[in-house]
Amino acid sequence: MDTKVKASSTTDISPMLLAVLANRFDGVVREMTNTMLRTGRSAVINSARDFSCGITTASNELFATAEGLPAHTYGLNLQTAAMCEFHDDIAEGDAYLHNDPYSGNSHPADHTLIAPVFWQGRHLFNVCAKAHQADIGNSLPSTYHATARDVYEEGALIFPAVRVQRNYQQNDDIIRMCQRRIRVPDFWYGDHLAMLGAVRNGEKRVHDIFKKYGAETVEQFVDEWFDYSEKRMRHAICALPAKTIVRQGFHDPMPPMMPDGIPVNVKLTIDPEAGVVEIDLTDNIDNMDNGLNLSESCSISNSVAGVFNCLPSDIPRNGGSYRCISMKLREGAAIGIPKFPHSCSVATTNLSDRLLNAVQSGLSDLGEGYGLAEGGLGMGPGFSVISGNDARHAGHAYVNQLILGNNGGPAGPECDGWLTYGLPVVAGLMYRDSLEISELTYPIRYREIRLEQDSMGAGRNRGAPGARVTYGPSHDPMTVVFAADGQVNPARGVRGGRSGNTGEMHMIDADGNATRAPSVGAIVLQAGSWLSGLELAGGGYGDPLEREPERVLEDVIERYVSENCARDIYGVVFSGSADDDSLNVDVGATAKQREQLRMVDVS
Amino acid sequence: MIEQSNRGWRISVDTGGTFTDVVVADANGRFTIGKAPTTPDRIFVGLRAALEAAARTLELDLAEVLKRADLFIYGTTRATNAIVTGNIAKTAFLTTHGFPDVLVLREGGKFNPHDFSRPFPKPYIPRRFTYEINERIDAQGQIVTPLDEAQALHVIGQLKSKAYEAIAVSFFWATANAKHETRIGELLSRELPNVPYTLSHELNPILREYRRGSSAAIDASLKPLMQAHLRDLQSDLRQEGYGGEILISTTIGGCLDIDTVIARPIHTVRSGPAMGPVAGRRYAELEGKTGSVLVVDTGGTTFDVSLVRDGAIAITQETWIGERFTGHMLGIPAVDARSVGSGGGSIAWLDEANLLHVGPQSAGANPGPACYGQGGKLPTVTDAALVLGYIDPDYFLGGRMQLDPSAAATAIATIAKPLGISSQEAAYSIFAVSNETMINAIKDITVSEGSDPSEAVLVAGGGAAGLNIVTIARELQCEAVLVPRTASVLSACGMQFSDIQAEQSATVPTRSDKFDRAAVNHTLDEIDNALKAFAGRLAERGFDQYVLSYRVDAHYAAQVWDIAVDLPAARIDSDGIEEALFEAFHAAHRRIFSVEDRASPIEFLNWTGRLSVRLPQAVITTSGGRSEKSQPSRNVWFDIAGADDAAIYRGDTIKVGQLIAGPAIIEEETTTLVLPRGTRATLTNNDSYFVELEV
Repeated sequence: MDTKVKASSTTDISPMLLAVLANRFDGVVREMTNTMLRTGRSAVINSARDFSCGITTASNELFATAEGLPAHTYGLNLQTAAMCEFHDDIAEGDAYLHNDPYSGNSHPADHTLIAPVFWQGRHLFNVCAKAHQADIGNSLPSTYHATARDVYEEGALIFPAVRVQRNYQQNDDIIRMCQRRIRVPDFWYGDHLAMLGAVRNGEKRVHDIFKKYGAETVEQFVDEWFDYSEKRMRHAICALPAKTIVRQGFHDPMPPMMPDGIPVNVKLTIDPEAGVVEIDLTDNIDNMDNGLNLSESCSISNSVAGVFNCLPSDIPRNGGSYRCISMKLREGAAIGIPKFPHSCSVATTNLSDRLLNAVQSGLSDLGEGYGLAEGGLGMGPGFSVISGNDARHAGHAYVNQLILGNNGGPAGPECDGWLTYGLPVVAGLMYRDSLEISELTYPIRYREIRLEQDSMGAGRNRGAPGARVTYGPSHDPMTVVFAADGQVNPARGVRGGRSGNTGEMHMIDADGNATRAPSVGAIVLQAGSWLSGLELAGGGYGDPLEREPERVLEDVIERYVSENCARDIYGVVFSGSADDDSLNVDVGATAKQREQLRMVDVS
Repeated sequence: MIEQSNRGWRISVDTGGTFTDVVVADANGRFTIGKAPTTPDRIFVGLRAALEAAARTLELDLAEVLKRADLFIYGTTRATNAIVTGNIAKTAFLTTHGFPDVLVLREGGKFNPHDFSRPFPKPYIPRRFTYEINERIDAQGQIVTPLDEAQALHVIGQLKSKAYEAIAVSFFWATANAKHETRIGELLSRELPNVPYTLSHELNPILREYRRGSSAAIDASLKPLMQAHLRDLQSDLRQEGYGGEILISTTIGGCLDIDTVIARPIHTVRSGPAMGPVAGRRYAELEGKTGSVLVVDTGGTTFDVSLVRDGAIAITQETWIGERFTGHMLGIPAVDARSVGSGGGSIAWLDEANLLHVGPQSAGANPGPACYGQGGKLPTVTDAALVLGYIDPDYFLGGRMQLDPSAAATAIATIAKPLGISSQEAAYSIFAVSNETMINAIKDITVSEGSDPSEAVLVAGGGAAGLNIVTIARELQCEAVLVPRTASVLSACGMQFSDIQAEQSATVPTRSDKFDRAAVNHTLDEIDNALKAFAGRLAERGFDQYVLSYRVDAHYAAQVWDIAVDLPAARIDSDGIEEALFEAFHAAHRRIFSVEDRASPIEFLNWTGRLSVRLPQAVITTSGGRSEKSQPSRNVWFDIAGADDAAIYRGDTIKVGQLIAGPAIIEEETTTLVLPRGTRATLTNNDSYFVELEV
């Protein structure tokens, strides 16, 4: 018997290699992510996972993102492009710090470290780690400065792709600058080291891949992987109906400047024949004199994320699938490309959340089975930045963003909203703080975290409920900075689904007197007083009268929905009682009640 | 080196979801395997059948085997299955007022930001079974709101009228001050004397309200079930005439007496995967490999991987029952055995742009791979193995199952055709893609433990492991591969090598810059007292030699994810020992993350003591070379480029010390070892194949 049987065909990149190499690059990003998570110092990184890692090509196309936050990763290519534009001597062993929203970053609080990856003397990839910092030296002890009229009042140190390492050696000048300016410099430096560890680890792992497969094969793979991703994306868009959709959303009023709220306008053109979605954001207001302006990166990433939310979830997100999306942005627009020195301090959340909601809910106009409702949003008490001095540790200063917000997720055509959704821009990816760890680390005391009954947008599929969150200082006074939204404009339902609740925030003094807190601002809580807020539920999808009565029953038994709400909104009537486990759907009465509610609807 | 003796025979049993595995070790340490289908309704029926199968091989009757044995170690998936299926006791969850949704909200997290097609998972205990108790303790252990006993009694009255079968109590900061939980325990004992309950600070005094609460809820919910299950087993065994000791295998890869396990049944969860590394460590040790050992266990649907480093099995605080984020967190320390859904039954498929995927869908055992001829049509990894020539269709499971090569070829063609490649290339690609899942799982565990797979020996267990393990080990550049001939019953083998182990934890937050030696040592005293009480009970049964060891979970100030560090001594009672502890932490941090931060204080949190009673270790003897029959060679695809003519060996013809050079295939009754060109295997004195990867 002969010992070698020749294989039938060979191509440049075999189907096997395509799948294997895709996995290997994802593995690199996963390993970087793991390094960051486990070594980060500030709670926003190590508890909340408010960071992302990714890889771009040397030609500055987004290449691999794994489990990153869309709002972080979808602009990495703009940042590496800026690095290439600003430096003509990029070399192996360099690392660059980038947080400049005017040249590709999301907002200044997201420090990004970029390391170019060389192989055999050629610059072929960039590995990136982006993390929300606990503090960045703003004029207020918050990384979200909503009222900053410009970047100067905002006060952040801005790094437009500044070289912080050469030959793998740190430039201590920059480190000292940051340590002089950033509150809690030890946290910042710990996080900086975690990011550095992640990119150097990533660089090593990409080298491993080159070592095994060679540059030629890897470069061919990159081309084919982009082509594959484009094919998947195009296939998905081709299955959509052709339509042009105009959708408007509103951020809550921001008195005195924006007393009527901030409009967010999106025009979506779906062209299944060409397999392209065009996102036109040009019809938006000019840059505002506050910190809510979107960076270019946020304008793009959240539009794109809104589209991806409504397509099969396993399409790779990279330069290949990006070819099927065309963006129209206007310079100097609040949603578009910001004009320096307008502040983008709060770019990643408030208007970004509204933009993302507008895109995904707009797509529901394509018909039954398309799009999503709007997701719960707002940086209320559960996302506020707390700061002060810790009497338990000799008055040591602290500042940190809480991540225990429980805005509920949007309903979709397939199921109810995701409960630990957080915000549209984080889509449930972030971890929640452990309250015990939080109380151990900061002088804070929690009084209540409770999902709010009947808060969610009703629908055939319903939104997830929001939570009531109450806390205060355990010792000395505590400053709380927040930029809530959703106290006027809730997360809306689609296709007959209802809106979720509106949010609210109160300060409660030691005697129990409550005063309404502003939706944007900073307050100081004295020991014995509390901040209490109601967060937002997600919107519903489809007519609540079409929700299966058994699912409404389950919601009532589990106390997400009251019997009144079941009767008045869902048209479901029960017999028996939840108290003795005898509650059941009264089929006849339910049919009648639903018929009646439909008549009311029509009239 | 471990003392080696076999006083009497010992029996270990692993009741899995499908099969019950039995290993009988005789006085000379020879292992005899018995297997029978698991009978979930009455576990002892299948267990006895498996015992009888082993007895038959030994040419003895069951009563004689039981008479000769003095140790019976039992592992069961009963608890794990109960959690997964929700088939648990009606359990109430008592929580601090204001925080009813601890089990609902978990710790957040989700895999895919764009996937809105999956509903949010239900909590382990329904919201309607959750009761808030008016009380609050703060982080310093001070009482902020005293326990409202009247309200608590009112709630307990409701529990009584609603006929709850178990109760879990988890209050905020019970770890800092147990007064309120303890009092609730007293009230429950008084008011509901027949309903079992679990207090979180007693079971698992760790920080993080979700993890502690989840462990308490899981433990309580298993009590009625596991109590009945283990009592039945005990009486069944006694009825069959067994008079020796009965031990139950546990989550940390040890075993415990029945009474202890009945009081804390959570410790039986995932005990099967925990035993894999116990076996792997022993097999590696017998070959003189005591550094890093990776242990994999491949079944039809899952692939488990665990890590042993310098003789210590990696332990994790984060074990999910079910998928990460959407399952339920066990919350107690457990052997870090990572499971991925990948195995012989994994299905290969193409997406609309023709990218090849394998799994996570599995054909399982029914209908199974296409080549089983049971109605399965989809191409699986097993079908690919057949097309590549790895498996002899006439000698699958030692010839007990006939495979259908043409059905496998038809199934694989559905992949080959659209890709425009030959069926062998397609089959090889399926193997390669499926290997990636396993390579990821191995990399994940080594990365998070700061180990390097290239310095590790890979021990492979499970029926399907031998097909691809040599390829995977080469990809990871492992030092060598070890395939025990008893690979198909790795967990049951692990029990033969396990020790009695009990752990006790306590939370004492303190920092290296103001280290509270008195508090730490006081806590270690308390841990000792609890463990010694347990040791006293064991001593009454003749297990009177024990060893105590200690570890602490620590992190740099403001980090929140802990590293476990072994204490350099039983007490931190000198500057030198204190310094050694700090050094051990820096070293561990450097090993895992490649950096250390000596300027930063270290925060210490959870202190754990472990009591180990060394059981006499089974020795292993080999029984190779019983037969002389040789097999014809066949064409086997070890590479995508083409086939090799491979020598085929039946396991029972191989003699100790015999070298088998690839390309070759070794066919055992329960496993097949594929050896590509450039590798070679030797049958060792300890009944394992030792595979060298670069010859």
